[in-house]
Amino acid sequence: MLEIVVPLSLVIYALSALLTILRMALGPDIPDRILTLDALYVNAIALIILFGVYLGSTAFFEAALLIAMMGFVGTTAVCKYLLRGNIIE
Amino acid sequence: MLLSLILLPFIGSLLPLLAAHKGRTVCSWLTAAPPACALLLLLSTAPAVFQGELLTIRWDWIPALGLNIGFRLDGLAFLFALLILAIGLLVILYGHYYLSAKDSHGRFFSLLLLFMGAMMGVVTADNLLLMVVFWELTSLSSFLLIGFWGHRRDARRGARMALTVTGGGGLALLAGVMVIGHIVGSFELSDVLAAGDILREHHLYPVALVLVLLGVFTKSAQFPFHFWLPHAMSAPTPVSAYLHSATMVKAGVFLLARLYPALSGTELWFIMLSLVGLSTMTLGAVVALFKHDLKGLLAYSTISHLGLIVLLFGLDTQLAVVAALFHTVNHATFKASLFMSAGIVDHETGSRDIRLLSGLRHYMPITAALGLIAAAAMAGVPLMNGFLSTEMFLGEAIEQRVLGGWSWLIPAVAVFAKVFSVAYALRFIHSVFFGPKPGPLPKQPHEPPFFMRAPIVILVVLCLAVGMLPALIVGPLLSVAAASTTQTILPQYTLEIWHGFNLPLALSVLAMVLGVFLYSQRHRLFNLWNRLPPLSAPDVFEFILHSILVQGSRRITKLLESGHPQNYLLILFLFTIALAGAALLQLPSLHGGVSMTAIDFPSLAIAMTMIVAALGTAILHRNRLTALLFLSVVGLGVALVFARFSAPDLVLTQLSVEVVSIILLMLILFLLPRQNQRDSSVQRLWRDAVVAGVGGLSLGILTFAILTRPLDSISKFFLAESVSGGGGTNVVNVVLVDFRGFDTFGEITVLAIAAIGIFGLLDGMRLFNPRHLGHHYAKDRHPMLLSVLNMPLLPLALMVSLYIFMRGHNLPGGGFIAGLITAIALILQYLTNGLNWTNERLNDNFHPLVASGVMIAGLTAMGSWFFGMPLLTTAHTHVHLPVLGEIPLATAMVFDLGVYLTVVGATLVILENLGKLKPFTSQPTTEP
Amino acid sequence: MELLYATVVAILAGSGLYLILRARSFPVVMGLLMFSYAVNLFLVAMGRLHTGKPAIIAEGAQYTDPLPQALVLTAIVIGFAMISFITVLALRARSELGNDHVDARSDEDQQP
Repeated sequence: MLEIVVPLSLVIYALSALLTILRMALGPDIPDRILTLDALYVNAIALIILFGVYLGSTAFFEAALLIAMMGFVGTTAVCKYLLRGNIIE
Repeated sequence: MLLSLILLPFIGSLLPLLAAHKGRTVCSWLTAAPPACALLLLLSTAPAVFQGELLTIRWDWIPALGLNIGFRLDGLAFLFALLILAIGLLVILYGHYYLSAKDSHGRFFSLLLLFMGAMMGVVTADNLLLMVVFWELTSLSSFLLIGFWGHRRDARRGARMALTVTGGGGLALLAGVMVIGHIVGSFELSDVLAAGDILREHHLYPVALVLVLLGVFTKSAQFPFHFWLPHAMSAPTPVSAYLHSATMVKAGVFLLARLYPALSGTELWFIMLSLVGLSTMTLGAVVALFKHDLKGLLAYSTISHLGLIVLLFGLDTQLAVVAALFHTVNHATFKASLFMSAGIVDHETGSRDIRLLSGLRHYMPITAALGLIAAAAMAGVPLMNGFLSTEMFLGEAIEQRVLGGWSWLIPAVAVFAKVFSVAYALRFIHSVFFGPKPGPLPKQPHEPPFFMRAPIVILVVLCLAVGMLPALIVGPLLSVAAASTTQTILPQYTLEIWHGFNLPLALSVLAMVLGVFLYSQRHRLFNLWNRLPPLSAPDVFEFILHSILVQGSRRITKLLESGHPQNYLLILFLFTIALAGAALLQLPSLHGGVSMTAIDFPSLAIAMTMIVAALGTAILHRNRLTALLFLSVVGLGVALVFARFSAPDLVLTQLSVEVVSIILLMLILFLLPRQNQRDSSVQRLWRDAVVAGVGGLSLGILTFAILTRPLDSISKFFLAESVSGGGGTNVVNVVLVDFRGFDTFGEITVLAIAAIGIFGLLDGMRLFNPRHLGHHYAKDRHPMLLSVLNMPLLPLALMVSLYIFMRGHNLPGGGFIAGLITAIALILQYLTNGLNWTNERLNDNFHPLVASGVMIAGLTAMGSWFFGMPLLTTAHTHVHLPVLGEIPLATAMVFDLGVYLTVVGATLVILENLGKLKPFTSQPTTEP
Repeated sequence: MELLYATVVAILAGSGLYLILRARSFPVVMGLLMFSYAVNLFLVAMGRLHTGKPAIIAEGAQYTDPLPQALVLTAIVIGFAMISFITVLALRARSELGNDHVDARSDEDQQP
């Protein structure tokens, strides 16, 4: 079962990443683009976890953890910029 | 002892400066002391040298470059050192009287001794590179001495010209020496002299020879580089007497003699030296007759005699070498005394113009007599030293067969030059000292003080003594010098006052008669000469220098350094692409033979995502925030690529750095205009796009070529030794903190320096807020939701950071990554709660953190010294703790702690200080 | 896969170079970051492409080459230090000169 599901999910998430970047290219507005970036972070987490499952390796799980954290910080910073201009004030 | 011989003048050059305020007499005595001591030292080595011993000393300096400090004293060096020291002493005595009260005694004598030391270095250096160093030093001190009267334009011009010509020649000589060193494999003189056959047969021999001869010809004022010497006559006369007749210009001659065994004996050597020497000798002799300036006449005469000596080296016999050395000594004695006489005339009458001077024997009979003898020696009158060496020269000129069927040309031209030389010697004496009393002169002439004349007396007595008793006075010196020059046994020769009636004597007599006749017809000749177009060497020289060199280099500089960094980068890129492209084109095939792995869809999709994002960044760069978002997608993609290809540590690092960079750019973006107008024309955009495309393509091709080639790595060692040697299973981390720990230490130092540098750059920066037009900002500074959400994140993040740090040695993680995570967690506090709130709770001075990080890392690295181990040796063990279980401990972890602290500190210093920066919104901005 | 990898490196490097050639400091900084991504990818490629073989010592495992990874890890951190320094330098230039053009000229005479 897993032999089919995991690669399939990998394909789906990769496809969605591709579609997300298209959305970012099309825009039309800055908040849209910030959202696509956040969506990409989620995609990346999924891809890394699934890739680890596929390989049977735990070596990359911390990376997923880190993306979750860093993605949050990154998105926060961009949002803050959009809201206030100055992100550290 | 040899060392003190060279050091004495150098040390001595400080004395006159120190004693300058003590008065002229003290200053002069102190100046004379070191050369006098050196001369005594030199004489004390005479017995050894005359027995053919070679005195050497040597220390390694930069052995890797073949540059060693070594000195040698053989016959040749002894001869030149004797000239330098003895004439130097006489010049000091003369200079004491010559210099006026206005001139700085201390500076003059100091420079003179500096030159003396440099010259001693040239003649005694045992290493060719060391000799070039001293050689350049003589050029420099000569420049300073010619320009001693810096307020005079001719002095400045003459000095500049001399420096340019001799300095350029020095560069050529350096290149030549490098080639010689390349051929021989050593710069030591003894090796080079022994390798003459290897040198002559090497295909680079002509290059080496021409370069060395360029140095020789410029230094010894050979045609066509002779023009600097007459203009160097704007120096004070003692300098002219010392540097520009007796010693410095003889450095070229010395070099010819020194390298004679190594370089001579080929067709090229003979042709070059004989032709250059012949033309210089003739040109100098002819022009000298027409010079109305006393020193100008002597300068061209010096050029002519130097040509004669060079010509002698170009004649294919060993006796010619003896004659060359003999004439070098003779020329030094009579020319120095002539210069001093000219100086006295100048000093006592205020003029050096031969047309104004006349009948001075009525006022200064002794000087006139001395000048007469010296000039006679110069003209080669029997009983004088000049006669003997010119006879030898004529003898060799008749014997030689250098030019094949044209060999008769050399004695013919030699006689022609000698006719002129007799004529100008006559002019020097007859026009100045004889004839009617002069018209009005700037000063009323009278005899100079006795001691000002004393050096001339000594030199003139030497001229006579050598001329009459040659075998006794210079015989042994000459034979030992010549023997060490040629490095062989010399053929039999005799130095005698009378060789009987022979062809050279006949030619001499012929030249004398013709010379006297020529002098009697001088006024016609002057009329002829005046019809020639006037040509001023400095004007021509400076014209060439300015129009070609200065203007040309300015144009090139302007072309390259246009003030547009874009153009610099374009040139840089094009050049790099050309270099890499040239190398890539030589690959037999792009594909290296290793079979490629299959492409899977997820990888393809991620690659496409990255490509779209990268192109998006480039295309939309004027919309800065959007471009930044695309850029962070690329960064995320890179992290995924690292994950895909087995680099977990890199994934973690890339992710953290990416976020930090985005925050940094966001901070900057606030302070810069949010968008930029179109700056570049469409053509320019296309041009840049093509260059960038080609550059990217070359890197891509290179990547592909490498990826398809088999791997041969040194990493087997790291993989094998990681656990046993470094005590960790994560090889990447072990490499960082253990195997290549010193690199890492360097890198955290760079990080710390960058942080400090940024702190300094931000200090006192005043920025005007760029108006973000049409943008309305939210009123809420710190949204509550964000703050609340953020609260639990800090301890969580710190825990993750600790976890990543602790496991770093064995599993992906480590100090770099943990440091970045901690820094980001703290930055997040600034983001959500603001500067004031955070700084109330956190000490915002992060500099100690940076410093302690670097220090901990450094001390850990050095700690291994206390155990008698090399730097950065690590120890490791496993500790069993109650709750946490077994924990591996290695000293490398302490090192990693240093890395951690540095990264945290540096990142926070950078970002927090940037965040602190407040633009001045109220003031008018300079932005449009 | 190798071809794809090389293509990505090429596009990233090309975009980076194009941005570095721009006239304003911000795109130049972005270009530097982009180019450093490309170079880091290129450097990692020195150890060739391996799937699921991280250089972590374990029983019977296969490993990729750890050396390029260690070098790239420091390169990333140093790259950050360099980028931040350049950025702040650009900022300082703007504060001294009043605009963010790399030529450090006033806005009026920008067109060469």
